[in-house]
Amino acid sequence: MAPPAQTHRSPSPSQPSGKGEVSDLKMQLRQLAGSRAPGTDDAKRELFKKVISCMTIGIDVSSVFSEMVMCSATSDIVLKKMCYLYVGNYAKHNPDLALLTINFLQRDCKDEDPMIRGLALRSLCSLRVTNLVEYLVGPLGSGLKDSNGYVRTVASIGVLKLYHISASTCMDADFPATLKHLMLNDRDAQVVANCLCALQEIWGLEATKSEEAATERETLLSKPLIYYLLNRFKEFSEWAQCAVLELVSKYVPSDSDEIFDMMNLLEDRLQHANGAVVLATIKLFLQLTLSMADIHQQVYERIKAPLLTLVSSGGPEQSYAVLSHLHLLVMRAPYIFSADYKHFYCQYNEPFYVKKLKLEMLTAVANESNTYEIVTELCEYAANVDIPMARESIRAVGKIALQQYDVNAIVDRLLQFLEMEKDHVTAETLVLVKDLLRKYPQWSHDCIAVVGNISSKNVQEPKAKAALIWMLGEYAQDMQDAPYVLESLIENWEEENSAEVRLHLLTAVVKCFFRRPPETQKALGAALAAGINDFHQDVHDRALLYYRLLQYNVFIAERVVNPPKQAVSVFADTQSSEIKDRIFDEFNSLSVVYQKPSYMFTDKEHRGPFAFSEEIGNLSVGAESTDNVVPAQRIEANDKDLLLSTSDKEESKGSSHNDSAYNAPGYDGSLAASSQADLVSLDYKPTPNVPSATFAIDDLLGLGLPATATPPPSPPVLKLNTKAALEPNAFQQKWRQLPIAISQETSINPQGVAAMTSPQTLIRHMQGHSIHCIASGGQAPNFKFFFYAQKAEEPATYLVECIVNSSSCKAQLKIKADDQSTSQAFSELFQSALSKFGFL
Amino acid sequence: MLQCIFLLSDLGEVMLEKQLTGHWVDRSICSWFWDQSIAQGDSFKHLPVIASPTHYLFQVNREGVTFLACTQVEMPPLMAIEFLCRVADVLSEYLGGLNEDLIKDNFVIVYELLDEMIDNGFPLTTEPNILREMIAPPNIVSKVLSVVTGNTSNVSSTLPGATGSCVPWRKTDLKHSSNEVYVDLVEEMDATINRDGVLVKCEVFGEVQVNSHLSGLPDLTLSFANTSILNDVRFHPCVRLRPWESNQILSFVPPDGQFKLMSYRIKKLKSTPIYVKPQITSDSGTCRINLLVGIRNDPGKTIDDISVQFQLPPRVLSADLTSNYGTVNILSNKTCTWSIGRMPKDKTPSMTGTLMLETGVERLHVFPIFLVGFKIMGVALSGLKIEKLDFKNLPARPYKGFRALTRAGKYEVRS
Repeated sequence: MAPPAQTHRSPSPSQPSGKGEVSDLKMQLRQLAGSRAPGTDDAKRELFKKVISCMTIGIDVSSVFSEMVMCSATSDIVLKKMCYLYVGNYAKHNPDLALLTINFLQRDCKDEDPMIRGLALRSLCSLRVTNLVEYLVGPLGSGLKDSNGYVRTVASIGVLKLYHISASTCMDADFPATLKHLMLNDRDAQVVANCLCALQEIWGLEATKSEEAATERETLLSKPLIYYLLNRFKEFSEWAQCAVLELVSKYVPSDSDEIFDMMNLLEDRLQHANGAVVLATIKLFLQLTLSMADIHQQVYERIKAPLLTLVSSGGPEQSYAVLSHLHLLVMRAPYIFSADYKHFYCQYNEPFYVKKLKLEMLTAVANESNTYEIVTELCEYAANVDIPMARESIRAVGKIALQQYDVNAIVDRLLQFLEMEKDHVTAETLVLVKDLLRKYPQWSHDCIAVVGNISSKNVQEPKAKAALIWMLGEYAQDMQDAPYVLESLIENWEEENSAEVRLHLLTAVVKCFFRRPPETQKALGAALAAGINDFHQDVHDRALLYYRLLQYNVFIAERVVNPPKQAVSVFADTQSSEIKDRIFDEFNSLSVVYQKPSYMFTDKEHRGPFAFSEEIGNLSVGAESTDNVVPAQRIEANDKDLLLSTSDKEESKGSSHNDSAYNAPGYDGSLAASSQADLVSLDYKPTPNVPSATFAIDDLLGLGLPATATPPPSPPVLKLNTKAALEPNAFQQKWRQLPIAISQETSINPQGVAAMTSPQTLIRHMQGHSIHCIASGGQAPNFKFFFYAQKAEEPATYLVECIVNSSSCKAQLKIKADDQSTSQAFSELFQSALSKFGFL
Repeated sequence: MLQCIFLLSDLGEVMLEKQLTGHWVDRSICSWFWDQSIAQGDSFKHLPVIASPTHYLFQVNREGVTFLACTQVEMPPLMAIEFLCRVADVLSEYLGGLNEDLIKDNFVIVYELLDEMIDNGFPLTTEPNILREMIAPPNIVSKVLSVVTGNTSNVSSTLPGATGSCVPWRKTDLKHSSNEVYVDLVEEMDATINRDGVLVKCEVFGEVQVNSHLSGLPDLTLSFANTSILNDVRFHPCVRLRPWESNQILSFVPPDGQFKLMSYRIKKLKSTPIYVKPQITSDSGTCRINLLVGIRNDPGKTIDDISVQFQLPPRVLSADLTSNYGTVNILSNKTCTWSIGRMPKDKTPSMTGTLMLETGVERLHVFPIFLVGFKIMGVALSGLKIEKLDFKNLPARPYKGFRALTRAGKYEVRS
């Protein structure tokens, strides 16, 4: 698997380059195997080195396995180590040959040198060949009782390795009990720590199978054990301390005295040189004090300095991981960090993702006293060479402006940006000025004066252009040449590629018409004509709507198109508070780095701390999302306009309370995870059955569209069981096992969507058709449902994942079925049920 | 719970693969990683946590060597990154540097080290002092020894004494013929000076580095004259925290050899030792630069290794820069470096020159940011002073040495 570039390099002395050497090596090894002449070890060592370097660069040297084993009878410890390494690498794929090594490994396990005993035991446990476990139990048992701490350390981890090869052998030999005894009594702290790690994992995995293991797992969190570990805390190595802190953070203290004792004991850990220890301690402190608001506050104060130091010391990698956590805390309690805003100033040569986190934090900590300085700093970034950085900085300035009451100075700054005459700066600023005006209409005078000077020719980006056009329409009375600018834009209608801009242009010109009719009349006519002939459906429809409105009654048209506007007061948050809380609960984990709770990016199998899987392609943060893990998600959110209208906000707020809490009883996120598979299979076919409802609307509008409609779906022959029942767990299991039978997109009629204020309505509707909902969730406009149904006569189940987008009236279906042959029939049944939604 | 560690060369070649658990990680993950990092360029190369289709990857880059660790389960990211950094530190200490050839020539030692540093994905020992006792570094002495004695093993035959001792970072029976201890204050000054010459931010990040060669189990106390200026401190595990909390005294049993006793941060410093004043005017297709460097606050010692580095803005065709002191270099990637060296006594170094802009560009909108470097021996600019160093539990009075050094960290001047 070595990259091709490697062949062009001159090989380093110990690095063989070709494959032809393998047979050579085999010969030479064979000659040495029996030799007892002095100097053999040196020759062997050279050969072993060659073999292992072949292995390292990816050449398959498993063919020399038996020769290697023959040569392994030696007292030289380096030779032994190399041999162990080799055997560990190939034993799994050559189980028969691995048997050859058992003998010498077992002998080494009884060596008088503890180092060799430990190494041999480690290698023995690393063979991972299932049919050799019987040879493992003996050496492990004596290893656990060894007089030397090093061997016991190795043995305790060895038990865990054994458990993964064969859980039953491990349990039968009663190793967990031995480990527990060691954990409580061993004088070597590293042994204690290793036992703890091993037991956590073994009992954690066993807990689902046996009652006994579950109680044992509970005892790991019992008060005596936690206190025992804390009392020996300082003996542990730094890494073991991390493990213990992690365990303690799961312990629930009985009263506040206990909490204070623990915090007093551990406070000095905040000054540890190892960042991992510091962060684990911080997590523990935050968890402990969650219920005590004022202490929690003090904890924030206390951890501030260590965190800020961690960020500025250490390598860029450490700094990033800490910064992600700091980001989380700053977002939760910005006021605590507001005096330290200078720490979030960006350094010229920092990578972009670090700067971006810092910008977000700067935005969050801005308050009355530091806004001026923060904005001054941000303005310096706006002149940055780095264009994405400049854009982000301007957005940050805008966000601060939208947070503050005193925006006077900021508006001036934003207007200065417009005078910088850099296209990307102008574009970004225009979008912000538009948002600002929607919140603070009182600033229109100043802004419009500057915006009026911008030539629309210099604005090319669709978003900026749309913003400029919006302002032209909204403030037509204040801008001298608004009608003429619009007119020239309409003349270039054909060259305008973005439908968004064309839509804005239509609305703006109509608004302008209401204020300055004589000047705009010509432009309006041209715009409507161009709009009605537009190939884009939305543009066409809107032009037609305006046209008919104006024809019907100009005053009513004005009331529709240009009603008096309320200033927007609050903006929608990009992340719900529920999600933020969940990420906070997962402090000191990957969730923080990704800014997503783990259920959003981890499969259920991986959720537990110790579950692995060897299949490919089951992490749902897939390849395609790596390039936009955190930043892109946010940028996207930014792009969707900072503003939602007030009513939107209230709606989404309401729904976020009701709906984002998933309804399924046993819901644990795996549904969300499995649905991520959508990302991969983009093979939706547009449904051939356009439900008749849409035509009804067309008729309503009196459009003489030719009725090329396909007939409504033929009546289904499939009968469903009205009282079907399925456990959530069974659903999950089935969903994972079954292949997707049908995946398609269909439309729902708009009345139905309008009725869908909450997912419940659709659930009730579908229940009427014997299709039951097992889980639902989401927020407007995206709802997601998992349905199931059973055949009336036989226990064949159908599973459906249905994603409804209420703004586009579309539903994406994914159907899985026990009985593949009837899945098409079921799909029709389902769609016909769905198409009736809203009429009942 | 790391599953696997790979070491990649700067061409993406797998130099070393160390599987840690039974859940084998296929090395194809490295090709995925490398393809991605080529496709996405530098920003990806420095992203420490990456999600691949199958694993989470942690990467740390040191001198062209990429340390890549894989896991499939949730774990504290800082733990993985911190561990990889330690691996990098230990390897570079063992091999006397880090590069492809060094690792390939010594891969057996690297495997041995990894074996002791991590087992089944749990980090074990990363303390260099202890590792050194388990696995001898491949230095000249051991090479000579091996030739003389004929014993070529670089693995010490005994277990490290410290594993049994109550002070895990030190073995009990150390003997040195000359007892000596050196304490160094090493400070880095980070500063940002904005367009108007105002000091926006200035802080010092410092370390107390100790090099100890003492016999037996000595007990040291180190005190500072002015601890009140410290904003935040972090200690080596050997430091006892109680005495620090009550009296701001560092009391510790030192590990043998070089180690970092303490690191600290001092915020809100009021001045910098030197000033850098850029004057830039740009019109009619050219840009004139005039840069002055001088002493602002004389630290009382000579200022060495002064340099100013900046990136020429885009759309600059050519640059003609001259200085009255030191040398000016322009690299092909448009990086300009003006090396001044020691500050002259009799004149103020200045650099002047003209940048020619591309045709059609009237004037520059973006001016460069200047990164300043300097070094001052013998002074800790934060003002932190060591008061005294006392010994207990030592047979003879050892030799004590103190030094101080300040250099520029992230010191940038905007224009």
